[in-house]
Parts: sequence; structure tokens; C-alpha cells
Amino acid sequence: MKKLGIIFGTLFLGINANAQNMQAQHDTTQRIEEVKIIAIAKKKIESEMKMTVSVDEFLASSDKISFIKRGAYAWEPLLNNMSTERSTITIDGMHVFGACTDKMDPITSYVESNNLATIDIKSGQEGSLHGATVAGSIDLKRKSTPFGLERIWSGAYQTGFETNNKQFFNLGNLSYSSDQFVVDGSISFRKAGNYYDGNNDEVNHSQYSKFNTSLGLAYKTSPLSSVRIDAIYDRAKDVGFPALPMDLWLSRAIITSASYKQLFKKGLVKVWDTKLYFNAIEHYMDDTKRPENLVHMDMPGWSNTYGLVSRANLKHGNYSSEIQLNVYDNLSIAEMTMYPQDRSKKTMFAYSWPWVTTRFAGASINNSWDFSEMSQVNFGGSLGWNYNRSKYVEFNWIFYPGTPQEKNRVLPALYTNYQLHINQFNFSVGTGYGHRAPSASEGYGYYIYNSFDRYDYIGNPDLKNEISYEANASAGFKNEKMGIEAKVNYFHIQNYIVGRILSLGSPMNYQSVGVKGYTSLNHAKLFNATLNGNYDVLQHLHWKGTLMYARATDDDGGNLPFIRPLSYHTSLHFMHRKFNFQTSMNGDFAHKNYSPEYGETLSRAYRIWNISVDYTFKFKNYRATLQIGAENLFNAYYSTYADWGNIPRMGRNIFTSLKFDF
Amino acid sequence: MKKLIFFLITLCFALVSCTKEKTDYEAEIDTVVTDHFEFKEAVAFNTEGYNISIEALNGTFYKGYNEIRLKITNIQTNEDADASVVTFLPITVNAVGNKVSCPHLHELAYQPDENYFSGYAVFTSESNIDSIWELYISFRISNQAYKVKQIITVQEQTNKNLNMTSFTGNDDEQYFITLVSPQKPKIAENVLVAGIYRFNQPTNPPSGDFPDPSQFSYTEVSDYTLQLDPRMPEPSMGNHSSPNNKDLIQQSNGLYYGVVNYTMTGNWTLNFIMLNQRGQILKGTVVPTDFTPGVEGIKSELHIDILF
Repeated sequence: MKKLGIIFGTLFLGINANAQNMQAQHDTTQRIEEVKIIAIAKKKIESEMKMTVSVDEFLASSDKISFIKRGAYAWEPLLNNMSTERSTITIDGMHVFGACTDKMDPITSYVESNNLATIDIKSGQEGSLHGATVAGSIDLKRKSTPFGLERIWSGAYQTGFETNNKQFFNLGNLSYSSDQFVVDGSISFRKAGNYYDGNNDEVNHSQYSKFNTSLGLAYKTSPLSSVRIDAIYDRAKDVGFPALPMDLWLSRAIITSASYKQLFKKGLVKVWDTKLYFNAIEHYMDDTKRPENLVHMDMPGWSNTYGLVSRANLKHGNYSSEIQLNVYDNLSIAEMTMYPQDRSKKTMFAYSWPWVTTRFAGASINNSWDFSEMSQVNFGGSLGWNYNRSKYVEFNWIFYPGTPQEKNRVLPALYTNYQLHINQFNFSVGTGYGHRAPSASEGYGYYIYNSFDRYDYIGNPDLKNEISYEANASAGFKNEKMGIEAKVNYFHIQNYIVGRILSLGSPMNYQSVGVKGYTSLNHAKLFNATLNGNYDVLQHLHWKGTLMYARATDDDGGNLPFIRPLSYHTSLHFMHRKFNFQTSMNGDFAHKNYSPEYGETLSRAYRIWNISVDYTFKFKNYRATLQIGAENLFNAYYSTYADWGNIPRMGRNIFTSLKFDF
Repeated sequence: MKKLIFFLITLCFALVSCTKEKTDYEAEIDTVVTDHFEFKEAVAFNTEGYNISIEALNGTFYKGYNEIRLKITNIQTNEDADASVVTFLPITVNAVGNKVSCPHLHELAYQPDENYFSGYAVFTSESNIDSIWELYISFRISNQAYKVKQIITVQEQTNKNLNMTSFTGNDDEQYFITLVSPQKPKIAENVLVAGIYRFNQPTNPPSGDFPDPSQFSYTEVSDYTLQLDPRMPEPSMGNHSSPNNKDLIQQSNGLYYGVVNYTMTGNWTLNFIMLNQRGQILKGTVVPTDFTPGVEGIKSELHIDILF
């Protein structure tokens, strides 16, 4: 339970800033060590029900994250009920952009749980450190073993089987640590067939297979400095998307970086860390397995990004600060080639991303000042420059004649937050202001088919910046036996970008019913609230519960899509000797505030029950854990508000896994 | 260590190379259509000490619209002849054996800067055994009239973007519409240029030596409107169209200018409705605008198919 406390504490309270301070304090040991908290975090990528989870399953255990699901793989994470354009998703601060116009490849699909140390989620403008954002930031932190650990070799191996979709996985990671040299390596395979819903019907095209490997090498160049190179290679093949009219044939990502880190014993600056990075993503769809498609279409996409992230941590007395410089250049290309029934005839070709370049350069700062024992103030901001260029701007001119080929934007952000701790109570209030630029699709997309509302979407290069005004507050109470915390945030977003039906043009994609253009609403309002509680019923019996509520409306008072209805999660955890028993229940209430305008229909309430038990034993230097459990124990048939095309979710799934640590 | 880094870098490059090649968009458009910018000699012949050279784009006469440049030189002095009143008349034999012409500019216009005579011809068929095209050219030099006849070859226009159509309008007049530009459309806004011509029915019987120009007279119609609705006819495209198109109206050079947006490469049909000065429909029907996947698009009775 304590462990879980740390997990959730780190994830949701944004202790990361403090983690950086800890790092600074460790300098006195005159060793380059990664922060202790990251070492602890090695065991963090697991949910309370399952010890071997996918990145998606892990993210799902956060109460700030919900998912749009198009199948069993590559779920699109929504932060604060906002889609991925509104959040910055980074891997160790590196920007990576998916290569699929239909969002079949969120960045989270290019990593694997065994090469991550933790996932750092920040809400709203507090997440502006990595770049302009509205919803916040999700930073996937890779494993990075410290130099000179007592244990030279360490690692883990996990294997398991899930019965519902016959998922079989093998995950292994190994680390070597000496005083001079560190190696981190991981490799993973996952393969799953179609899953079955709660009516025991097979959901066709829901299979997937994924291979992921990573390697990191660090070398200590002096007692206070080190260099590190990292690479992740990910390949997903034959991935079904039951909610879409096509599947994924192949997606590949290579994510590389080289960094230099310098610690300072004296002075204001404690750590300086600079990283150069490059990543290339390719994504090829496949519609040949869908006989319902009248027209065969090739839809390849490519996204290449290179960039620089440079960070310095400063500390003076009870004031600490983190300054970061972000620079990146991304080129996104997506094509569509349609083949007429008579294949001898000429194919039809267009770009859905006409070679869209995005360049960003920005400086951000996070400050934290403990001005009394009881209170702390955090404040910061960023100033960024965003540049877009569409190489084949003539595509954009079809709907927006004469629009400029290049566009520059200035993206400022500011936030402040005050925290007060009085005995067992803690309170915080905060506010934020920030801009974001439209994404490649929103700005320059061309006939991007959205199978949810069945419209073709056209980007508008002239969109204004989306401007977010944000307020947040929390109140909590904690003692040795129990804790309770309530958090709310509210976003008033000007120029909120949505797709609106265009009176011009006619659909291009076979299944579509019309054309929508990205336009700015005058404003939109989003409200999120969560209530968390925990209680130790007995010494070894713990209860935890979460209640989440969100509401979002446009300037007409209409509902926005993909907003989580009132939902809950409750769990019990019991420990007995080397056994752990967990059971949890979660569900949504009916999605009454759905948005028919965006293709949503009423999703009914559902409740699912999960249970698992694990047993840990040691032999020699190894620690092994065996787990067996069931998700959706009563085989409920359900589909949530965020299931694309209302595809049913997985029915009863019995999972087993075995993990060795050494 | 060094070896390892080297290995990794090599590995990176190997992995970075793409699985599928990107489409070379510019080449994609080029392969189907080559545009011709250059005027080259298409035919040259001599008469009574003068050389007549006619230039056309790519040195070829094609079915459809041809801009022509005619030069007359004195063979002896090899200098440009001081010719005037240059007339140009193409004649062929139609299926029923009648001698017919095609839309053309009869009296060519002198371009003093370049020292040639410019005009155009809209050949309505390709040359073959049954249909031979002859040019009848006359000019005056120093008050002396010259006449000459020359067989030419009209080739098939493989670029469908320069297609033409001929039809009889509701006013019983014979019309010709020919596409002039773009030769090489883009997925973009394209300025669409067309010529619209009418055959002037002769009011008098032929007189004088053959050919009597009054029997073969065509004019550019003025102040008509060509309403445009471009669509993709493939069944799989479901009658797809594009936004922001503009109807064709006449500009000072006599040709009709409008805007067509092509949203992707492939087969397109330009559906037209032709209106006269008073807004009366002379030809063409309104096409359905519904998106009908799986059904071949219905075309206007006045249309030109293009492909790029």
C-alpha cells in the first residue's frame, strides 16, 4: 500500500519538481546518481490489479487519464478529458509525433512498460515545461540505472498469458552498473489474438503483435559529468482496429538520443543536462482485410523529429528552480492513394499531411519556493515560438485559397500555485494561462477520415491559437489510517478547436458522409473533479476509492465529445504472508451529456469487477512473483463513452503472469 | 565502447531507412502529363520563293486547341517577308464526305515584336487515311496575293486535360468547347481556360475559288457563361466534388477563364452548363450533388473528362 501511495503521490501531486530538488541534494555525495525516487520507481509500472501491464493499462490507472479506444491496442490518452493535441506527450522530454492521421499511434504506443521507469503526469500549465500545452503533459521516463550500484547486474523477466485474447508476452530487462559505465537494455514481445466481448462474441480485427527493444549506455566522463546515449526501437505489426475501417500493417519507431549531464558542487546551478535527439516513425495502414471497403487505399505516414532539450536545476536555500530549453523540428507526411475497382486504371493520389513542418523553440521555467514550513508557492511559465510550413500548400488552398504557406505563432504560458499544509490538512489553489498552436492535422490536414462521426476533416492553417485560462484547487486530509483528497480544475478555453460541418466540398472517403473543417469555437469550458479516499480497515486490509466527474460545454452550451461521465473506482487490498489479494470494481454511470453532433450516442452505465492474487517467493538472489487474476469477472457486456464506434470492450479475461527480479 | 557506438549508429541508420518509399508527388503528376512550353516548327513549306513556317507547341498539331505562330521568309534573302493579310483555313473531309473546317482564327494577327502572325486552330479530329487535314493559307506581299495549300498531320492529344467536345446547342447552332489550360493540373486551385466557338452557318451559297471562307466561318462566342461542376466519376469516389470552383467567363483575349479545384489525382469530369448572353441554357444539365458511394457519377450532357 505504501508503494501505491508513492506511485500515486508521485503521479498526481506532481512531486517531480521536488524529485529534482532531491537530486540536487544528492550531489554532496559527489557521485552521479540518478535520483533515488527513480530507482524506487523501477517497480512502479504496474497497476494495483496487475503487476505486468501495458503502458496503456498503466496510464489507465491514473484518474487524470481517460482513453479513446479504437481496439485493443494503442489507446489514445486523454488528459483532463482533452485529446492528445492539447497535451504534450514526451519521452524523457523528447517530442515524438505519431505518423498516423487517424491517431492510431499515440506516442505511448511506442514504448513498453519494461523500458520505462515512471510516467510523469502534470495537469494544465504546470506541464508547460516541455512545451506549449493546454491540458498538461505526460512525460514517459525511461529507465536509467545509476552508476556504481552495489549490484553490478540487475534485471527482471516477466512472462504471462491472458486467456481472453490469447495474449502471450515476454518482457526482459537487464542492467549493468559499474563506477564508469552503465548499460540498460530491454526487450519485449507481445502477441494477442482477437478478443471476445461480454457476450462471448469475437471482436474481429482486434489482434496485435508488438516488439520493443531499448538500449541505453552511459559513461562517466568525470566524477561530476556523464554522457549517455539511448535508443528505443518499436515495431507493431498486424494490429487490428475493430472500430476503424482499416488496420495497421506495420508501424515502426526508432527513438534515439545522446545526452550530456554535468553536476555542480557549488553555486546556484546544481545540474545541467542537455540532450540531442532524433526519432523517426513510419506507419502503414492496411485495409485489404476489410471486404466492406469498396475502394482499396494505401495510407502511409511518416513523422521525423529532431530536437534539443537542455535543462538546468537551480537551488538556493528554500528556493529551487528548473529551467528548460526545448527546440524541435518535425516533418509529418501522410499520403493516400486510392485504387479504383479496375486496378488497371490510374490510381488517385493526395496528401493528407502535405509535408507539414513544425518547428518549435521555447524556454520554460518552474520555480518552487518554500517560504514557510507550512506553505509553498510554485510558479513558472514558458515562452515559445511555433512555426509551421506546408510544402504542398496548394492542397490547403483548395479550402482556404491564398492562405500563407508559413505561419509563425508566439505561445506564452504562465502558472502559479500555492500549497498550504496545516497539520494533517493540505490545501492548494492555482491558476494558469497558456496558448497552444493547432496540430498538423488541425492546421494542415486534408480529407482525414474520422470514422467516429464519419466526416472527412480539413485543417485550417489560419486557426487562432487556443488560449486556456485555468484554475485549480485541492483539499485533503491525511492521517495514519486514512486519507481523503478532493481536486477540481476548470478550464476556460478560447478559440477551442473542433470540427464543424463545412457547406463546401464533398467527402472523398468512401464511408464518409460529409466534410468538416477545423474551426475555432468562441470558447469552451471544461470542469474536472476527483475525490480520492483511502482507509486502512485492518493492518493488512486497505480500501481505496475514487470518484471522478467531468463536464464540458461549448459556447452554445452544447456538450463536447469524449467527456467522461461520472465514474468510480474502488478497491480492496489484503495481504497475508506472502500472498496479496486484490479486488476492484469500477464503472461509469450513463453518459447522459453525450454529444450527438460529434457522433456520440448514449453509452449506458456499466460496472466491472476484477480480482487478482499473487504470491511472492525468494530463492537464492531471485525474487519471483506469480500472479493470477480475472478482469471483468462477471463477463459484463459493455462499451464506454470513449469506445470508438461503440465497439464492445473485452469480456472476462483471466490473466496469469510470472516475474523474476534479480 | 567505440565499436559499440559505431555499431549502434550503423544500426540506427539501417532502421531509419523507410520500409515503403514516399510517393514522389511531383513525378507522380509528371508521368501522366508533360507540359509543353516551347513553340517548335510543326510544318514548313515553300511557295513562289517564300518559305512558310508554322510553329505549334512541341512542334506538333494535336486534336483540340493549338496556338499557332506563322512566319513567312523570303528564301533568297533569308529575311522576314513583309507580308500582310495572312489568312489561315484548315479543311478536312468529314465522315459523309463533306469538306468541313474547324474553329480557327481566319485572319492571323501580326505580332510586330516577334515578327510572326499568331492564331489558333481547334482540330476536331486526328489525321488518318479517311480524314486528311489541309491548310489553305493566303497572304499578300507588295500587293501581290499568294495562295498555298499544305497537308498537315494532326495527332491524337494524349493529354486528357486538353480534351475538347462539340455539340449542337438548344439554339440549333454548332458549338465547340476546348480546354486550353492547365496542361498539367495540380492538386490545387487551377485556372481553367477554355475556348468556346460557334460555327457560323453560311447564309449564301459558296462563291469564288474553293475554299470560300464564308462557308467555313467560326467565331469565339462572347459573353457566354460556362457553369462548372467538377466531379470524380469513379463509383468508389461516390460523386466526389471540390469546393471553391468558379464558373468560366470571357476575358479580353476571347478565352474563357474559371477556377477548378482538384482534390486528388485521378479521373475527373468537368460538368458544364453553357449559358448564352441572356442566361439561357444552350446545353448542359444539372448533376446530382449527393455523395453516392458505389455508384458511378452521373455526368452532365455537356462534359469533358480529364485525367491527371
